[in-house]
Amino acid sequence: MADPDLDFTSGDAGASATYPMQCSALRKNGFVVLKGRPCKIVEMSTSKTGKHGHAKVHLVGIDIFTNKKYEDICPSTHNMDVPNTKRNDYQLVDISEGFLSLMMDNGDVREDLRVPEGDLGKEIESKFAAGEEMLVTVLSAMGEESAVAVKPMTK
Amino acid sequence: MMAAVGAPEVISQLESAAKVLMAPPSMVSTEQRQHAEHIFLSFRKSKSPFAICKHILETSKVDYVLFQAATAIMEAVVREWILLEKNSIESLRTFLLTYVLQRPNLQKYVREQILLAVAVIVKRGSLDKSINCKSIFHEVSQLISSGNPTVQTLACSILTALLSEFSSSNKTSNIGLSMEFHGSCKRIFQEDDLRQIFMLTMEVLQEFSRRENLNAQMSCVFQRYLALANQVLSWNFLPPNLGRHYIAMFEATQNVMLKPTESWRETLLDHRVMDLFFTVHRKIREDSDMAQDSLQCLAQLASMHGPIFPDESAQVTYLAHLVEGLLNMINGIEIEDSEAVGISNIISNLISTFPRSVLTALPNELFASFINCLTLLTCSFGRSAALEEVLDKDDMVYMEAYDKLLESWLTLVQEDEHFPRGCFVQPAVQVFNSYIQCHLAAPDGTRNLTANGVASHEEEEINELQEDDRELFSDQLASIGMLGRIAADHCIPLLTGLLEDRVTRLHGQLQRHQQHLMASADPGTVDRKVLDDLYEDIHWLILVSGYLLADDPQGETPLIPSEVMEYSIKHSTEVDINTTLQLLGSPGEKATSIPGCNRTDSVIRLLSAVLRTSEVESRATRASLTELLSPQMGKDIVWFLRRWAKTYLLVDEKLYGQISMPLSTAFGADTEGAQWIVGYLLEKVINNLSVWSSEPELANDTVELLVTLVEKRERANIVVQCENWWNLAKQFASRSPPLHMLSSTVQRTLMKALVLGGFAHMDSDTKQQYWAEVLHPLQQRFLNLINQENFAQICQEEAVKQEIVATLEALCGIAEATQIDNVASLFSFLMDFLSSCIGLMEVYRNSPETVNLIIEVFVEVAHKQICYLGETKSMKLYEVCLTLLQVYSKNNLGRKRLDVAAEEDQYQDLLLIMELLTNLLSKEFIDFSDTDEVFRGQEQSSGAGRAVSAADVVLYGVNIVLPLMSQDLLKFPSLCNQYYKLITFICEIFPEKIPQLPEELFKSLMCSLELGMTSMSSEISQLCLEALSPLAEQCAKTQEKDTPLFIATRHFLKLVFDMLVLQKHNTEMTVAAGEALYTLVCLHQAEYSELVETLLSNQRDAVIYQRLADAFNSLTASSTPPTMDRKQKVAFLKSLEEFVANVGGLLCVK
Repeated sequence: MADPDLDFTSGDAGASATYPMQCSALRKNGFVVLKGRPCKIVEMSTSKTGKHGHAKVHLVGIDIFTNKKYEDICPSTHNMDVPNTKRNDYQLVDISEGFLSLMMDNGDVREDLRVPEGDLGKEIESKFAAGEEMLVTVLSAMGEESAVAVKPMTK
Repeated sequence: MMAAVGAPEVISQLESAAKVLMAPPSMVSTEQRQHAEHIFLSFRKSKSPFAICKHILETSKVDYVLFQAATAIMEAVVREWILLEKNSIESLRTFLLTYVLQRPNLQKYVREQILLAVAVIVKRGSLDKSINCKSIFHEVSQLISSGNPTVQTLACSILTALLSEFSSSNKTSNIGLSMEFHGSCKRIFQEDDLRQIFMLTMEVLQEFSRRENLNAQMSCVFQRYLALANQVLSWNFLPPNLGRHYIAMFEATQNVMLKPTESWRETLLDHRVMDLFFTVHRKIREDSDMAQDSLQCLAQLASMHGPIFPDESAQVTYLAHLVEGLLNMINGIEIEDSEAVGISNIISNLISTFPRSVLTALPNELFASFINCLTLLTCSFGRSAALEEVLDKDDMVYMEAYDKLLESWLTLVQEDEHFPRGCFVQPAVQVFNSYIQCHLAAPDGTRNLTANGVASHEEEEINELQEDDRELFSDQLASIGMLGRIAADHCIPLLTGLLEDRVTRLHGQLQRHQQHLMASADPGTVDRKVLDDLYEDIHWLILVSGYLLADDPQGETPLIPSEVMEYSIKHSTEVDINTTLQLLGSPGEKATSIPGCNRTDSVIRLLSAVLRTSEVESRATRASLTELLSPQMGKDIVWFLRRWAKTYLLVDEKLYGQISMPLSTAFGADTEGAQWIVGYLLEKVINNLSVWSSEPELANDTVELLVTLVEKRERANIVVQCENWWNLAKQFASRSPPLHMLSSTVQRTLMKALVLGGFAHMDSDTKQQYWAEVLHPLQQRFLNLINQENFAQICQEEAVKQEIVATLEALCGIAEATQIDNVASLFSFLMDFLSSCIGLMEVYRNSPETVNLIIEVFVEVAHKQICYLGETKSMKLYEVCLTLLQVYSKNNLGRKRLDVAAEEDQYQDLLLIMELLTNLLSKEFIDFSDTDEVFRGQEQSSGAGRAVSAADVVLYGVNIVLPLMSQDLLKFPSLCNQYYKLITFICEIFPEKIPQLPEELFKSLMCSLELGMTSMSSEISQLCLEALSPLAEQCAKTQEKDTPLFIATRHFLKLVFDMLVLQKHNTEMTVAAGEALYTLVCLHQAEYSELVETLLSNQRDAVIYQRLADAFNSLTASSTPPTMDRKQKVAFLKSLEEFVANVGGLLCVK
């Protein structure tokens, strides 16, 4: 669901969705593409076959959008794809039919993001119902986007 | 209550309750179960249940009910002891014993419980003169002489129960009496009754050892008495005149060395005792269970020491007999697997217990046979241990035995000046040879060979958590290294020859592979078996060489071992220095191809054998054969070189009485040799970092070698003269491949090394140029980036983020390089960055990983630098930290995160903030700043007045942290420790700020202290206690009553009082608790008197009352009225020690 307006405002039009990195240079809590999905690395360990073998990296990642767990193991000399990720804060202006209405820096309003599932979604809805003004943090990577955090507007 | 009901009703009630308890979980509800449990509990608490219990025992058929009846009797006897008629106790005991005797078919657990009741009665009665319990030994000895195995087993159970009860250990029942009582019982018991038990046991063993054939039942009895003997010999003897406070601690029951009192002299110095155990062992050694006990008895006898020996000659006689017995036992038998550990325990106890003078006083021949036997045994256990490894056994008995023996060798040879000169050389050669043989592949060695000579070769998955052999086997290697030094004449040339041979073969093998690859170009066809065998050989040879040539002491300058130095000196007259240098300087050539190579210094030749290995590795990488190499071997090489460089490079002649010419010529200060080797090592490091970026451990070992080269000024001076060093610096600053592919920790350490190198001696132009190469690019790139107009737009781009992360990592590395003589320039450099970093906090407020890294920079700077900073500089740092906290707080207020990371990681920022605050506070403890001595010339006048103080920053930070620290978070050990460290620091350093805290904050701080004191680990409890004195002093200073802090301290008085007086205390805590108690007493004298009064009024025994009252009086005598005066406080602490020694055992109850 690529939004043409978004590319225009974010200033990285044409940037590739991923870039390569040597496996050993990845870091825990960083990002990596596993099975075609953008993941946050939650576990990273090395092992070798036999005492004189070369290092292999064992990666466990969690899909940053679906929270599904993926694993991979590869020689530490290999290059892995790392997703380009972005986070932006938008002011929440409305919630309707399970979608957030968010105001962007240029004043335009986008209405294409779902209220996230789970506690965070409930929190957004209840605070909105209570009339609080909020900023919603939106994470984007590989052409997908999702709300991942919320905080009150600072006056 | 129970008494009102008739006996049959009680029994049927108990029996149906038992049925419920014994039923499978699916059959009964939780409520039913709880109800049943309650019935038994109240039954056991009923008053004088003796008649009904006897009735139950005689009539009920339900085992569990019998068990509960026995328990009820035991508990009631102890509870009602003073009220009971002495003869009714006596008859109760007789009843129980007779009961058991008449019912040989009782369930074991019922029988043991009844015997436990008997033992408790005997123990409780042993201090009561009016009742005679001695008759039990007479009865038991009659049981033993009955010859009936069942009865004899029963007798053994009685004795075992008595032993456990009197041992005053964790096996002892809880009978609600003072520790002093337990201790006194034990002391009386060990002088007389214990010996009687031992004699009875010996008689039984003697009797059995004479029998020709033992049937199964007999040997079962035999085994139980053997175990009993072991229990006696493992008795933790209470010394006759040690302070009472010793009693207040329960003693260990494991790994106790035998230290009997003098009264045991006649019994245990009788040779027949030891002979009996040797005889017994010979008889039962094929039964692995029993053999363990008999060997353990012998090991206990081998650990015997203390007042039992009247003089040294008695010790010599005893030891001689022991050694003779041991040699007779071992010689001519094939040792069973199950005997290995036991035998090694005997030897290791004997060597560590008996003084050297006693060992050397043994007859020469006997001593020689003993050493010979030890040598053979060590070699044999070593071979069996290697077999165990091949078979991948779970239970590595030979490995354990081998470790023990090698440890004993280390004890022996470390004090070899006491022994005849050279007496350990031949044994050392043999043990060393066998170790090498076990670790080399066939045909030279036996590695991976099973007993029948079949090679096994398995590739297993090894994860990063598995320790490297150099740590896993460090104890073994240290012993083998030490033996190698003792026999240096043999071992150093042996290692050199083997290593040179393997390197030549490795070289040839790699060349063949290269030709093969050029022909077929398919790396998949390479057979790695031969290579892996060579790598494994080289691996062990390098490890042993490293441990032989050098030590790795923590925190001090390692010296060349004296044996190695003497060895080099001894041969220096036969050595040709020039050939030696030529050999050293040509690692690319075969050592044996150099003319005159046999007239070179052997110590240097061993080093150069490792350099040759290193050279083959480097050349292979250049020939694109990296994939065929072993990263493990790479690690071994740099590990060795680092260990070697610390000890030998630029050897300081002043540290040695005499020095070897070859060593000082090759590696001394201002020598070409030293310069050459520094250059060589540097090249190695650079090569490794580019080739092995994908091997994290190897890269790490490599960069640690680099740090070793520059952390000492003398070495760094040579390093910075190398062109390669400058190339490395430039390359790293340009952040281009391959260095930027290294893991972040390696990059950090590399930065640290580059900064350390910058403080070597250079002329000022060079120095300026150096910093221009190393630090300025970092600053320049960073400023260029963040000052770009569109930074706000591009900051999320991956390339930008990476640049930022790399800069932050580098800043951490720079902070890590701080030393007293460079802090001035590094601080100024880093300060410029810190303010920009705060700007980044704002920009990257949504990426926790970047925020954490920013905070980490502050943590590192505070950690490494604050102790050197003077007032003005500190204030600058406080200010910038305060701003950081403000930004952090603003961005995190009310934030709710959807974070997929593991829980503990989510709180990484919290942990870092607490670490930062603690580091800032640490200045109050460790302060090396000498009114800005190190900043002389840079400092402006500091009269501007303190704008921000440490207290402001820290309390501001605590305001952020405290509300976030929930009880759940305290379950994470890292968070918990850091949190308590922080809050107790605050109480100690800024007590005056505590009363000013907002009410909620104050309350949660006090709750945290109480929680920490009462229900956390002893370390945290101690921290909290230390926080109390300053708080109480603060109250005393302000003189205000009824403030929240005043009321809180009153509560703490009761807590500390109970802790010190009533609970089993940990002696380490007494001082902290005592100090806290004293200041609290000063503050709340009336409440303290009340606590004492209450405690005394609860005492019914007049004697104890008086003792306690006196003790409390003398506790405060030297400090009446108590005032916050240091001298009085010290006096109080001293009296407290006596108080605890005197009555601590009385009040502490088990």
